[in-house]
Amino acid sequence: MNKTGVAHIFASQNNTIIIVTDMTGAETIAKASGGMVVKNDRDESSPYAAMKAADLISQKLREKEISDIIIKVRAPGGSKSRIPGPGAQASIRALSRAGFKIIRIEEVTPVPHDGTKKKGGKRGRRV
Amino acid sequence: MKTNERTYLSSIKIPKDRIGVLVGQKGKIKRKIESMGEVQLDVDSNGGDIEIYQVGDPLKSSKSISVVQAIARGFSPANALTLFSESEELIVIPLRDFAKPGSRRIEDIKGRIIGTKGSTRRIIEELTSCKISVYGDTVSVIGDYVSLEASLKAVNMLINGSRHRTVYTFLEKNARKLRLQRIEESFG
Repeated sequence: MNKTGVAHIFASQNNTIIIVTDMTGAETIAKASGGMVVKNDRDESSPYAAMKAADLISQKLREKEISDIIIKVRAPGGSKSRIPGPGAQASIRALSRAGFKIIRIEEVTPVPHDGTKKKGGKRGRRV
Repeated sequence: MKTNERTYLSSIKIPKDRIGVLVGQKGKIKRKIESMGEVQLDVDSNGGDIEIYQVGDPLKSSKSISVVQAIARGFSPANALTLFSESEELIVIPLRDFAKPGSRRIEDIKGRIIGTKGSTRRIIEELTSCKISVYGDTVSVIGDYVSLEASLKAVNMLINGSRHRTVYTFLEKNARKLRLQRIEESFG
């Protein structure tokens, strides 16, 4: 019997976090992030780090004998950026290369139906 | 047609004058996207709603969403179809975030990014080897990870009011660094 997991990929401008849960989303099966595989802080969000993190995930998943995955990608969303970071594409590709059967890919970036004000104040971010 | 095998993926609303580009002559472009992305496109030519159904590989069909979006955002089909290659990505910047509603700031920004007869846009495209489209209230960029980083920075500099000369010098300085970075990236 094939076991199915849900891979939640959170790709921000500063990091990529992958968490694999069971179908209910309550039990975590494996997790990895860009920061676990690179040394420099600025490389955490790079496609290379995302690829490495996905490799780590696929190792852990093989031990737990999971063959099918549903991918849910998200960017920070809400009042923050709605564009997924550079790690999103790379990690999806690495997971599919690792031989898992991908059932579907979903975009689950939270979009407000009008929420709170964006951070930075009235005069914007001043550098 | 195997209609029972398809699963609903997403729907995108595109401007009316881009529907003709998406469909192409006698449906040529639409058929090409459908075969390359393993999807089915349902085009509502009155309202501009495109419904995308997944037929085959989910990886390819998720890419075809961004291809449809790129055509909606003013790219030519030839440029949009490059998104099917592995490294290319599409990023859309809504200019509404930078202007108060009702102000003429959006027009100013668009003019600054395009430049005289498209000179600024062309210089950014050449120095970072990406593709830029300014359409409606959005600026969109297609490129790989390395070139996107530089070109988005240049576009942001222009939006925030840097002089064109400053942006050009920044890009020229970066051009060599980009080439090295690209080699590094390809070896991992």
